[in-house]
Amino acid sequence: MAPESLLERRLVVVTGKGGTGKTTVSASLALAAARAGRRVLVAEMTRDEALVPLLAPGSAPAGYQGREIERGLTAMCIDPYSALAEYLGLQIGLRGLVERVLSNRGFRQLMAAAPGWRELITLGKVWHLEQMTDARGAPLYDLIVVDAPATGHGVALLNVPGVVVSAVRAGPLRRNAQLVEDMLTDPERTLLLPVALAEELPTRETAELVARVRDEVGIPVDRVVVNGVVGPPFPPGLETLDALLARLPAGERCGALPPAGVLAACASFLRARHELNRGYVALVGELTGLPVVPLPYLVEGLTREAGAPDPLERLGRALLAQEAA
Amino acid sequence: VNAADFAEDCLVRRRIAICVGCGGVGKTTVAAALALEAARRGRRALVLTIDPARRLADALGVEALGNRPQPLARATLESLGVPAHGALSALMLDMKRTFDDLVERFADSAEARERILRNPIYQHASQALAGSVEYSAMEKVYEMWEREDYDLIVVDTPPAEHALDFLEAPQRLLEFLESRIVHMLIHPAFAAGRFGVRLFQHGTRRVLQLMERISGIGFLQDLSEFLLAFEGMSVGFRQRATRVRSLMLGPESSFVLVTGPGRESVRQATGFRDRLEGFGVPLAAVLVNRVRIWPGGGSPPELADAGGDVDALAAAIRAACGPAVPAEAAARAALHAATGYAALVRRDARAIRDLREGAENAGRFWAQIPELAEDVHDLAGLARIADAVFRAPSEGTS
Repeated sequence: MAPESLLERRLVVVTGKGGTGKTTVSASLALAAARAGRRVLVAEMTRDEALVPLLAPGSAPAGYQGREIERGLTAMCIDPYSALAEYLGLQIGLRGLVERVLSNRGFRQLMAAAPGWRELITLGKVWHLEQMTDARGAPLYDLIVVDAPATGHGVALLNVPGVVVSAVRAGPLRRNAQLVEDMLTDPERTLLLPVALAEELPTRETAELVARVRDEVGIPVDRVVVNGVVGPPFPPGLETLDALLARLPAGERCGALPPAGVLAACASFLRARHELNRGYVALVGELTGLPVVPLPYLVEGLTREAGAPDPLERLGRALLAQEAA
Repeated sequence: VNAADFAEDCLVRRRIAICVGCGGVGKTTVAAALALEAARRGRRALVLTIDPARRLADALGVEALGNRPQPLARATLESLGVPAHGALSALMLDMKRTFDDLVERFADSAEARERILRNPIYQHASQALAGSVEYSAMEKVYEMWEREDYDLIVVDTPPAEHALDFLEAPQRLLEFLESRIVHMLIHPAFAAGRFGVRLFQHGTRRVLQLMERISGIGFLQDLSEFLLAFEGMSVGFRQRATRVRSLMLGPESSFVLVTGPGRESVRQATGFRDRLEGFGVPLAAVLVNRVRIWPGGGSPPELADAGGDVDALAAAIRAACGPAVPAEAAARAALHAATGYAALVRRDARAIRDLREGAENAGRFWAQIPELAEDVHDLAGLARIADAVFRAPSEGTS
């Protein structure tokens, strides 16, 4: 069963362990959606902004207020204390009181150690953004892409609303958590997009993530992105090039070329990496039972070179490629 | 600093080596390789892992043995070159069990212990309380250190965005437990209702009223019950957390920064390094894992002008492999592969250059571990990593 278009959701939560490139995937998806005519908000939840430097190198941080990076693409950074200040302001309305509370030392100590509130308030802000409308009553953003924090399994973030709903008996906290949970578990609105690498640990963790998300959180997930996939290194018919080169005397040199042994070693390395990658891509699909969207490994990373295609655009096309197919 | 000095200082003289770095760089594998190296040097070493890859866990024999050290068999160790007086054990951290053990140890009565373990807030909090993974890892290190069964404990820290998360976790928990607001929450006058609130400072009272308004009273009742039960053990808990922290920052410990050659990993590693320095933590070494190295060492040659030599290579391939092989295509593909791999080698060298220079200028040990064609998931792989760090052939220029 082919997954539905990523562009048809209201909220895509991009998740994955550190180093899998989920920030890159978030940026690529947001950019592709904006260029397809959607009004897009992309939000990250780290203390160090990494998204804006990717989308617009050298520009000022977007901060909690957010900033339009290009037509139809707004970036923001949801930090929990700003979200808390805004929430308390909306709940109480007395700004002086909110400020006194937030600057209270005991309160800050409590918040520094208290579990769960960061996740809840951050997701609460996402819910709030999802509810926002323009002057004509249409949603302000067609698509919200959330670059979820890398710590833990990502499930920690997503099951907080459910935990609050089950642990708190009544009151505004419970009501708000319920609204957030309803949004997260609504397949019409939300999709979780796990990002893996074609390596052992990310493969296993992604399989665990998908299993837990299905069993515990109930957030829709219909595909897995595997980032940094190395394609076949040799042309068809020469799949065993390294073995051919190994038959040459290792020290044999042809002009300025490296010795045959070095050529064989280079070819052998590329082939081994490709085969390992291919194996893990298959394993991700097998363990999760989901379609896999492979993204190509980019040797030059995300550096944009004059005249060369924008790497984010290339990844964005790859992300949406399966949908066209 | 050379490899021998680094090994002598961190693996032989000191008792704790803490591996820090962001996730996805092979920190666990490097930590295990350091422990193996210590064992080879005759130490009784323990590696404490947080979340190892399954096959590595299998190789270390720690699966399903959560929270208890598991020694490697003598025969296995011998095959890895560990002398008779050396030993290697591995332990996989179980956070919940570590917290439960703490409660068992410090609860002031059996009744308090049961109350804590059954409290719904504890059941969530022991896993979700900010810094609880970090705290339980440090607690486990301390417990193992106290037992003196090991000469060296190598700690694989939880993946964190910031190096200090690990060090600050106990402090944060302590501040929380000692905060005025916690004392207010567990005060019986509060638990009974709002009587007596005038006893408390105006600001804090407002905070409590606000929390009640937002969260609903039931939640605060559960929370105060939990904190009340916890109060009895807070003295022991506090003393212990202070000792754990001094141990980590003291002369018996050293820090090793592990990173990969990816741009993002290097960026985060640089941030880790700066924060650790700012914190006054002595960073002993920077190890870059999975660096692509040119076969035979040194810088890759410039291959842009080598196109003219493809015919010669094709002739050599034909001579070695016979006429059935498409020799021209193979020669072109070989050049293409060498050019592609050379680009990867240069890319990695560029990405880690500043980190390397920084380490060398600061007089730190620096080593790169070559990317292997396969994932490391067995003990032989760990031995290869240890060899790359401690017995690297003299490096070519790069």
